[in-house]
Amino acid sequence: MNCEQVQPLLPEYIHKHLAPADHARLEAHLAQCPVCQEELRATRQVWQALGAVPVPEPSEKLRPEFYAMLAAYKQEVHEAPGSGSSLAGFWQQLRALLAPAQALRLAYGLGLLVVGLAAGYWLNGPKVAAPADQQQQLAALTTQVEQMRQVMLLALIENPSATERLRAVSYTKELGEGANERVVEALLSTLNHDENVNVRLATLEALAQLADAPSVRMGLVQALPQQESPLVQAALADVMVLLQERRSVLPLRRLLRQPGLNQAVKSKIEESLKSLSPGRPAAPSTTPSSHETLHYSRPDRGAGLAV
Amino acid sequence: MLRVKAGDVDRMGLLFERYHRKLFSFLYHMLGRADTSEDLVQNVFYRMLKYRHTYTGEGEFRTWMYHLARNVLADHVKKNRHATHHADVADFAEKIGGGARADERMEHEQEVAALHRALGRLSADNREVLILSRFQELKYEEIARVLNTTEGAVKVRVHRAMHELKTIYLRIEN
Repeated sequence: MNCEQVQPLLPEYIHKHLAPADHARLEAHLAQCPVCQEELRATRQVWQALGAVPVPEPSEKLRPEFYAMLAAYKQEVHEAPGSGSSLAGFWQQLRALLAPAQALRLAYGLGLLVVGLAAGYWLNGPKVAAPADQQQQLAALTTQVEQMRQVMLLALIENPSATERLRAVSYTKELGEGANERVVEALLSTLNHDENVNVRLATLEALAQLADAPSVRMGLVQALPQQESPLVQAALADVMVLLQERRSVLPLRRLLRQPGLNQAVKSKIEESLKSLSPGRPAAPSTTPSSHETLHYSRPDRGAGLAV
Repeated sequence: MLRVKAGDVDRMGLLFERYHRKLFSFLYHMLGRADTSEDLVQNVFYRMLKYRHTYTGEGEFRTWMYHLARNVLADHVKKNRHATHHADVADFAEKIGGGARADERMEHEQEVAALHRALGRLSADNREVLILSRFQELKYEEIARVLNTTEGAVKVRVHRAMHELKTIYLRIEN
């Protein structure tokens, strides 16, 4: 062993960590080498001096702080068991899965909004671009709806329920000018044959609005003798006055002659006849054979009474 | 430690009682500051809990502990790049106190303080091997495992560290 080999071993030699063989060889070298003896002395001195370097005691708060940390960690682990496959851990994982789902939901909502806006814009666009086309469509649709209503009306008007029949009649108002002959026919039939007074009154009201058509007028006039209800008779008389329908004078007079006619209706018809033939001078000069002459006297008399 | 790893966290208390002084002295010699060293002791024990699954059971617990301690220390040094080893000389002055043969004691304490300062001036690597072998009383073989190196390399480094320390110490002494 030479000095260069010996010196790195000195600390171990001091510590007595050397293998016995190395220990013996090192001592053999030391015995004949003053340089290494000096080196050993110095190293040992420093080594021992190092041992005298005091280490302060850790302060008293270290221990309680450690146990506080340990307790906190235990609680932390208990709340969120990372390695454990317990139920709590499962929930933790589930929650972790759901957390991004909320963001996903928001994104989904925003996506829907964008799609909705785009669709609205797209649907709006063609409308503005082709108004003529759209009007055509609208007209077609309106026609279709009216046809539907007609069918509905015709179907409902034969319904056993008076309410349904009333509803059917009310459709006439919405049909407006779309009411065709079939409808008028059905309405007139209802006016003449329906068992419910309310339905007949409503029908009369509906027909009065359609009275521009000659067929309707004619029908109304023809309906006069068939009415038995005082209410309908009075209402019909009103309609006749409103329409100034002179053809109704004859059936009205005939009605007036009917036995057992309601007193109120009687006076109503008399009034109507008066307004339908205001100051008609023909009355006195008419031939007695005519029904008309016969009936003319009555309004005259009525007028005479009034004067 | 294997029982701690298995989930018996309370066993950590036992390890704390057995090792915290050694750990504290290691960190104290490395840093030269008692307060910071205490904080780092806490850190090391926290990491033991947190990374207990990395303890394989092979090799001694001590080796693993110093391994973690070195990591904590490296993180600390990285965070406080400008903080260097500085001996709490004031501590020594306090401990000397008065009384008989104060001169002698004073002389001795001064020597020790000089050595402490010399230790502080060593490079961190050299200081580390000296501390591990002299103060922690680890064998070269253990030190080699802690430092992830060979026993031969440790031997050389201890020798160099001793040589450096002697030089510095003698310069301070004179």
